[in-house]
Amino acid sequence: MSTFLGGLGTVLGLELRQRVRGVAWYVLLGTFALVVAGATLMLWLSISYANTGGGYLFSTIIFLVLLLGTLVAPALSGNAINGDRDAGALATTQVTLVSTGQLVLGKFLAAWTAALAFLVVALPFLIFSVALGAVAADTIVTAVIVLAIELGVVAALGVGLSGVIPRPLFSVVTTYLAVAALSIGTLIVFTLGGAATQSPMKTTYIGIDYEAGTDFGAGPQFDGPPPCLDPMITTSTQPRYDYYWGVLAANPYLVLADAAAGSFDRNGNPTDLFGAIASGVRSAQIPPDLDVTIDECAMYDAKGMGEYETPEQVYDRTVPTWFVGLASHVLLGAGALLWGTSRTRTPARKLPKGSRIA
Amino acid sequence: MTRTRHPASYREDSGTARRHRCTLPFPESAIVTNAPPADIPPDRAALSEGITVTGVSRSFGGVHAVRSATFTAEPGAVTALIGPNGSGKTTLLLMLATLLRPDGGSIRVAGFDPVTHPAEVRARMGWMPDILGSWSTLSVRATLEITGRLHRLDRATSATRASELIGLVGLDELANQPTRVLSRGQKQRLSLARSLVHDPSVLLLDEPASGLDPSARVDLRVLVSRLAAEGRTILVSSHVLSELDEMATAAVYLEAGTTASADRIAATRTSTRQWRIRSVDPSRLPAALRTVGVPPDRVSVDALGTLVSVSGEADAAALLSALVASGASISSFAPAVGDLEHTFLDLRRTEES
Repeated sequence: MSTFLGGLGTVLGLELRQRVRGVAWYVLLGTFALVVAGATLMLWLSISYANTGGGYLFSTIIFLVLLLGTLVAPALSGNAINGDRDAGALATTQVTLVSTGQLVLGKFLAAWTAALAFLVVALPFLIFSVALGAVAADTIVTAVIVLAIELGVVAALGVGLSGVIPRPLFSVVTTYLAVAALSIGTLIVFTLGGAATQSPMKTTYIGIDYEAGTDFGAGPQFDGPPPCLDPMITTSTQPRYDYYWGVLAANPYLVLADAAAGSFDRNGNPTDLFGAIASGVRSAQIPPDLDVTIDECAMYDAKGMGEYETPEQVYDRTVPTWFVGLASHVLLGAGALLWGTSRTRTPARKLPKGSRIA
Repeated sequence: MTRTRHPASYREDSGTARRHRCTLPFPESAIVTNAPPADIPPDRAALSEGITVTGVSRSFGGVHAVRSATFTAEPGAVTALIGPNGSGKTTLLLMLATLLRPDGGSIRVAGFDPVTHPAEVRARMGWMPDILGSWSTLSVRATLEITGRLHRLDRATSATRASELIGLVGLDELANQPTRVLSRGQKQRLSLARSLVHDPSVLLLDEPASGLDPSARVDLRVLVSRLAAEGRTILVSSHVLSELDEMATAAVYLEAGTTASADRIAATRTSTRQWRIRSVDPSRLPAALRTVGVPPDRVSVDALGTLVSVSGEADAAALLSALVASGASISSFAPAVGDLEHTFLDLRRTEES
């Protein structure tokens, strides 16, 4: 075991020295720090009026790290194996005592570490947001862990695909496409799917016969219950997002939001972006009412117009999906790594078309 | 003369013995090997088994890169792997280097099968590829140190080994430069040093001299001869035959993926071959040749001397003693083309006919 870890550590160190460390890398991290600093300043100014604590600031920075991490990780990991092969530096590593598993895993850990560097850079700003108050400890822990896993998934996808696809350019692009499919593709499928699958909806409207009332200049008044008009029935269609909400479970941003949500104020409103996104997305689980009766006549004396659900109520009566999404991501990443490993294993039985082994 | 030695024992006594072997310039005395130490257990004799290849084939899709390769490379010898471009030399070396799985046949490198026991082979085999790849941003020293670490040497051993090898291949001034600034020849030296990091008992060198200047070639030749004299098995591929002629003690001929059989190689030994003769007094040489009975149609003259067609070494020896006896002042009497080249060209001729 210690020989395995030793070899793994050597590959990790080599990868970090060879691939990551450099002036451009530090410039990138510095730029990211400036972006987060700017976002922090503006959000801080805006929330200081509302006095809602640091929840929104914290969650926004976490999402920024996820965004930047998923934008950079494919570029850092997507040519880890085939790039080495192109440079003639893969086979010379493979004839040493390091195993293919150690090699691929070491490259994955290096790419993951590089993506996590963004989280480290964002750390001062995260601490600042927590210092503003009202960020629950479990939100912090869950958000950071899920964020780290999601960045690891992107790194694993990149390294795995770089072992499967011979050309570095195509494996990097494929990794980006996979990330885009999860981040944006799921939203598109959800939206288009819902819009394309519509159900007929019957709306019955029972109005009040205002003509029957007496008017003293301040609107019609009735003695007792108002006389009702005949029910008016209209038909329309309603998009069925409730058929497609499962697709959103695969979205890394929503996985993060759904996992870290749960913090609401006493009015039932979310105290951070996680809760706002999670309750909004989870409301798609509720099927639309396809036989709506709006009885204005009966509700004339009632206090409110129908029941209004707070985001917290929506959140509480729907099911969480983040662990399904997260588990599928982890499986995807692990599968990519295994696939990449099996294609990189030596002595090689078959070679990708047009590829040189060295 | 061969010598049994285990790589690990080399590492443990990192003291005087190794330093003696691995410093430039190479004193001739270093080539002389000592008797094997008595404390080496008998089972380690297997480590100096060299290379045995039997009926190996490998194809890529419809292309048969290697059809049938059979040969052995003995410890203590420098075996040349000779063949034209595209004859399957690199594919064969890749299979020996545990990187490529043969379709058929069997391979033993240092006593182990590269397919079933790649780790055992890798611990005992050094490979210098024909592609000059390196970790471009790492320094020469770091490259060698990390290669040592990948071979499970500890940190201190890797560092000392790197320093030794930098001296051995003469990259001292560039030791701390990133490898991307190296020239082609310097990358060749780095590649050679990298293949020696774990002190392998079998060395596979794929076109090691390409890109080297003449003095570096001499260094390489001396180094390779010395490594062989230490009991290592060395297989060198090249299509530059003159450079192999100077260091190879045995040869394997590969053409269109097939190694030439011993019979065919033996046949080339007796085929007609030109020998170049130079005399202190060239004007008397034609008369001398006539006197000893060489027909004029077997004699030609080029700028470097007189060429005589001779079949086999015995014929040549007889001709030389006859010429000397006839009083011709012979200053040089040698084959016009190198042994390897003659065999190689002759094999190609018989192949075509």
